[in-house]
Amino acid sequence: MSDLERTMAASASGMAAQAARIRLTTENIANADTPGYRRKTVSFEAVLDDTRDTRAVATGPVRLDRSELVRIYDPGNPLAGADGSYLGSNVDLVVEIADAREANRSYEANLKMFDQARQMASSLLGLLRR
Amino acid sequence: MNLSLLNLASALAAHASARQQVIAENVAHADTPGYRARDVADFASILESAPAFAARTTRPGHVAFGAEGGLEPHEAAAFGTETPNGNSVSLEDQMLRAAAVRQEHDMALGVYSKTLDILRTTVARR
Repeated sequence: MSDLERTMAASASGMAAQAARIRLTTENIANADTPGYRRKTVSFEAVLDDTRDTRAVATGPVRLDRSELVRIYDPGNPLAGADGSYLGSNVDLVVEIADAREANRSYEANLKMFDQARQMASSLLGLLRR
Repeated sequence: MNLSLLNLASALAAHASARQQVIAENVAHADTPGYRARDVADFASILESAPAFAARTTRPGHVAFGAEGGLEPHEAAAFGTETPNGNSVSLEDQMLRAAAVRQEHDMALGVYSKTLDILRTTVARR
């Protein structure tokens, strides 16, 4: 496997990891008003692939944010207990949107590196075509 | 005579693609906690440090002699870019390096194809 192919493999792993992150962020935003929902987070880790000699990025297990759920006072809600309140989700929209923006930026950077490697490989092949 | 020029150009292209790989890995790990940005030494310093008579590894079974190629990545990060989770990748810095790699690769291929053109002109029958 040539350097440029390994480059594309590393960039593709980065894009896959950022896509997983943005999917979880989207799930969190969609469930921002679901009672009892805990926001999902994922960690990134480096994996050294011996067969391909690349340092790909992989997502770790999905974890739930263990911060406290927000207690919402709403006596009219069917879920409300004796004290007239129920537990909402612990999703903070500002945090999720900032996370999505960062994932988007990193995804685009990976895409740019992928595209550059592809162009370098094709101009290399262009030498043969002359 | 021109063959050494071709060797030089292909070494430059190989250096560019090795460096591209390291930079792409840095970008892929832009959000991995604890990841340190790496880079390959620039081509000029590799060329200067290369011994004049080095044993060449021409088969996969050969053991590299000394600093063969000198393309091993080492830790290199722009000053002051480390984030609280120990990651030292700056996307802006990496983009700058990627642009330099692109330029290096284009130059290598340009020199290579131009040299081939000259060779072809030399041997062409008119």
